[in-house]
Amino acid sequence: MLQYWTAILTEATIFGVLALGIDMIWGWSGDFDLSAYAYFALGVYMTIIMTVGKAKAPVEYVLGWRLPYLLAVVIAVVVVVAFASIIGAIALRNLRDVYFSITTLGAVWAIYYLVENFTPLFNGYNGVFGLFDPMGGKLSYNAYHYYFFAFCLLVLFLVYLLVQRLSRSPFGRMVRAVRDDERAAAVFGRNVFWTKYRTYLCGAGLAGLSGGLFAAYIGAFNPLDWKPTEIFVLYAAILVGGRGNPRGVVLGSFIVYVGFVEMTRYIPSPAARPELGPALRQILIGLLIILMLKFRPSGLLPERLGTDGTKVRRSWRTWFSRSKILPDPRQDDVVAEPASGVES
Amino acid sequence: MSTTAILEIEGLSKSFGGVVAVDNCTMTIREGSVVGLIGPNGAGKSSVIDLVSGFERPTSGRVRFAGVDVVGKRPDQISRLGMIRTFQTPREWRDLSVIDNVRVGRSDLERESLWRSLSAARRLRRQDALDTEQLRELMEHYRLDDIRNDRAVGLSGGQKRLLEFARIAAAKPRLTILDEPMGGVNPVLGERIGEAIRELKKAGSTVVVVEHNLPFIEKTCDEVVVMDLGSVIAQGRFDELRDNERVVDAYLGNDDE
Repeated sequence: MLQYWTAILTEATIFGVLALGIDMIWGWSGDFDLSAYAYFALGVYMTIIMTVGKAKAPVEYVLGWRLPYLLAVVIAVVVVVAFASIIGAIALRNLRDVYFSITTLGAVWAIYYLVENFTPLFNGYNGVFGLFDPMGGKLSYNAYHYYFFAFCLLVLFLVYLLVQRLSRSPFGRMVRAVRDDERAAAVFGRNVFWTKYRTYLCGAGLAGLSGGLFAAYIGAFNPLDWKPTEIFVLYAAILVGGRGNPRGVVLGSFIVYVGFVEMTRYIPSPAARPELGPALRQILIGLLIILMLKFRPSGLLPERLGTDGTKVRRSWRTWFSRSKILPDPRQDDVVAEPASGVES
Repeated sequence: MSTTAILEIEGLSKSFGGVVAVDNCTMTIREGSVVGLIGPNGAGKSSVIDLVSGFERPTSGRVRFAGVDVVGKRPDQISRLGMIRTFQTPREWRDLSVIDNVRVGRSDLERESLWRSLSAARRLRRQDALDTEQLRELMEHYRLDDIRNDRAVGLSGGQKRLLEFARIAAAKPRLTILDEPMGGVNPVLGERIGEAIRELKKAGSTVVVVEHNLPFIEKTCDEVVVMDLGSVIAQGRFDELRDNERVVDAYLGNDDE
């Protein structure tokens, strides 16, 4: 049982790193990116093929090196960022909102079918596999899981510290200004593309890093493991925790991956309908997204408001009202203000 | 008022498909002046602003700002030369606090480096804290101090106008272009905006105001440029233009036609 919980928590930890990366792109920068799961998958593939050694027929894949695990992860992250720099350069140049999402969706499915069908790359449909031991065989199989969980927690903690630091920095403030109104940000001298692009690459790098961790967790990876639609579970996690708030995003990842993805495995499926359990899980996650959007759209821990340092009083009464998504006033016509509005 | 030109527009034209929005427009804005840009709806005033600030690319013509040819430059590049423009509706950064809106307005790009934000986070935070006193003075001035920690999206329309002026004052531009700052503004706030424009001038900024409110233009501006059908038809002091036939025709329609 302990081992089971360790496994679940390890998974939640790894997806926490991924969610922090996706939140940089969506939460901070406002770009609803759908290709991030491909960056995660690429991170997994690269890490595996750089650590398990030469491919033996009929299995085939590129590279087939035997690098130390940590070095392989670093290279995987570099490869993922390089790859994201191409997609980001195309998608972020002039496309925004739904057009950006459509472009990244097209990219991720193109990559998906390429990986699935072009076997010399990552062995196509059957995927790559082969166990490797990041700890170099110094630990027993059982102890390995606990140590690896601790390692993942450490990585998540370090990533969280860096992301939180960046989030509260002048850079994080500027990224959000560009998100809220990029024309106004350009008027005040901000290079909109470059700001979004750098944030995008940071997010992609974290996706690659989480892929590197996941590679050591599973040891085998094929296209069935990474349907691009899986990204919506991560968006659910970000939404639940709090878009734009790193602490909330980590919390949301644990809630969604432990509470929904894993716990729903206990939903009994009748023998005749084995697909019922997984289907119910998807339905529950969909329901979770809808309920969150209805009742608490900024998540459990909403994005932190940059203040002048004095404590902002928050009462329980404002807990719900404060986070309502206000309509964008620019969509309405500007109307004359009553005189009292100015004096307030 | 000095005689050096800060903005020179020469033969500027822009057509959208078959529609000529700006047609061989030529004007010069002198440094330190407050210039009203007026004309009937569709005269091309907003299009000229878009062309000057880099949001649209002219079909032909030249724009020199502070001695630099800015045609083909991006809006942010032009802004870094010292030009700030506004839009017809206030464009606050809605999910940033009021004080953060002003902080971003100050445009300290050096402080926003990705690398320094990671490596020197504490120093940057201290710098921000040091500025707070100064910024609060500025916000007190624009009656925003009480709401400085609120999300900007919740502000009233009038407060958003004032926030826009606070941002501009923090940015200390050489040229400010205001696109209909009086749109949807009540008379009391109108007074305050007129004052804000004079303060911008005092702080060393040249100001161009696009506005339909002619009494406001008369009171606020040193000089007026009148546009009609995409080009400049008159430029001079307001009282001189009152009797200018072309200007009157443009506004009221020509009886002879």
